[in-house]
This record gives sequence, C-alpha cells and structure tokens, in this order.
Amino acid sequence: MISPVIMCGNNIQNAFALIYAFSIITLLSVAVASFIPKKLPYAIKITAYAVISSFIYIPIRVLSSEIYPDSIENIGIYFPLLAVNSLIVYQTEVRFFKLSRLNMLTNLVFYIFGFDVVILITAFIREMFGSGTINSNVVDIDFIVSGISQPFGGFILLGLMCGLYRKIRAISANEKNNTEVK
Amino acid sequence: MFFVSELIALLCVNLIFTQALGTSTLLVAARNKTNFVAIAATITVFTTFGTMGAFFIDKIVPSERDYWLLICYVAVIAVIYIASLFILNLISKKFFEKCKLYIHLSAFNCAVLGSVFTVHNKSLGYDDFGFGDYAFFGFQSGIGFVLAALILMAANKNLNSSKVPASFRGFPAMLVYIGIISMAVYSLK
Repeated sequence: MISPVIMCGNNIQNAFALIYAFSIITLLSVAVASFIPKKLPYAIKITAYAVISSFIYIPIRVLSSEIYPDSIENIGIYFPLLAVNSLIVYQTEVRFFKLSRLNMLTNLVFYIFGFDVVILITAFIREMFGSGTINSNVVDIDFIVSGISQPFGGFILLGLMCGLYRKIRAISANEKNNTEVK
Repeated sequence: MFFVSELIALLCVNLIFTQALGTSTLLVAARNKTNFVAIAATITVFTTFGTMGAFFIDKIVPSERDYWLLICYVAVIAVIYIASLFILNLISKKFFEKCKLYIHLSAFNCAVLGSVFTVHNKSLGYDDFGFGDYAFFGFQSGIGFVLAALILMAANKNLNSSKVPASFRGFPAMLVYIGIISMAVYSLK
C-alpha cells in the first residue's frame, strides 16, 4: 500500500486519480467480499478476495482512462496494484469481517478516508516543494528540493510524516490523561 | 570486482529501492532471522514462478486489452499459492504448519505482482524477450528482495532501539532508512 504513494503521489493530479481508484475499488471489493462464506479455508477466501477486486478493477480502469487519461499513464503499474491492496486481501479477515456489516462499512470508510488524506497531503507537499507548483499552477516559492519528487524523497517524507503523526497523537493522549487526572 | 559490479547491478534493478514494491512485506521479513529466511525464500519462489506464468499470459492477452492482465496474473499467483500449500501439506504436515503463514503473506503482495507487471512492461520494449528472460527477471527480483531485507535487517535493531525518539522508533525510522539507501541507489544509477 505504500508503493503507490511513494512512486505516484508526487503531484495532486496523480493523487486524485489514486484516491478515486483506491476508494471505489476498496469499498466495493470489501462490501462484495463480505458475502463470501466465513467457513471456507483461509487460502480460498483470500484468493476469492483478490479475484473479486481484480474484477472490480476492470470497469474502474476503463472509466479512469476517460476521467484521468494523463494520470493513468503516469501511475502505470501502480494502478492495478491498488486493487490487490492489503486492506482488501488481508485486513478483511483480521479486522473488518469480525464486525457487523454496518460497523464494518463505517470502519472501512474511515480507513479509506485516512489513506486518501495521506495521499493528498504527501502529494501537496511533494508537488509544492519538488516542482514549485500546486495542481500544475506555479506558486511563488524559493525553496525547491527536486529530490522530494523522487522515490527516495517519498520514503523519507512518509517516514517523517508518520513520526510527526505519532508525536501529535502522543501529545494529545498525554493532555487527555492530564485533564482526566485533574 | 565481478562480485561488486553484480551487487551494484542488483541494487540498481532492486524493486524495493527503485520502485518501492513490497515495502510492507520487507518490513516483516527484516524483523528476525526466521522471518527473513522464510519470506525471502517464498517471495523468490513466487516471483520466479509468477513471471514464468506471466510469459504465457502475455502471449494470450492482447496489449490493447491490458486491463485484463490483473485478473490473469492474480489467477496465476492463486494457482502457485494453492499448489505450494498443497505440496507442502503433502510433504510434511509439521513443515506445512511452520511455513503456511509465510506463504499466505507472500502470495498477493506488491513485490510479487509488481515484479510480474514490471517484466510485462519490460517485455514490450523487446521483440525477443523469451521465457528464460521472464524467469530470470523473476528470480532476480526475488534475490533483490533478499538483498534489501538483509540491508534492512542489519539496521533493524538500531532503528528499534531506545536511542531513537519514541515517535520515530520502528516503522517511521525504517522508512527514512530505506529512503536513504534508495537515495544511494539512485545516485548509483
């Protein structure tokens, strides 16, 4: 799930195409996969999930060529890889299918929303500081780091963002604890 | 000298450092020696047999209908996945119980599917890209994964140590570390 963000999340146009593909494929695949009998062997079930998402990928891919023709070209092999993401193939068993259907869908929507936000923030930062543009519009910025658009820049930025997010969470958890003690 | 140049070549075509494929699986493989050996072996088997299967798929599916490729590749990997579980179960039940987790983890992930799609794209540029080339690419991808996991495993202990700030310990530090190695590989290219 990290690879499309690192490789293709370097401008906002690509980010929108990734968000569109990931959100629809994941939501539909998990919803359809939830009807697969739970009693089947694990290997058969995860194979079935991968097959379902691969079928759902076909119309989404055809539609994407109409909506985001340039981005689809840029995303390349990462577009089909979105369809067999760990949220569909593995997390369904570990997390989603242990919940009631309504809870599962609510949880799933938030998971998808979280992923979409990360793609958008990453793409915004990388496009602004990597190319000096926002959604292909030139912005007046003196500080350009072209390396941030490269895969290594994606790894480093994602690592830093992840650390920062954890720090913010730790601070807010501490504050919550302090308020409860008081 | 030959070994060094081969190592550099292997790093330059490395799917993880150059294309970020299979990063999550790599992080699991780098946790300990048992994970490393088992995942590295199963990923290499899957990438090699997966690309071999892709050779036949590429012969059948016309290039203008490339959106059918995913379902075909997933079918190939599913066959390898079920067959490997079945064969291991036949050989030894004890060994099967030990290995099945790693097989489950290695089947449908970006490292395997990514190498299959990459070899497909590569084959489009050559007229004489044969079965042997597909198989060799798959094997090379697997070995590249082993090399990347080895590099990450060497730093795993330090990246998870108490000297690293708590917020950056583990996953974030690993990503930054992979980024730095990836930068070095980028400069080699």
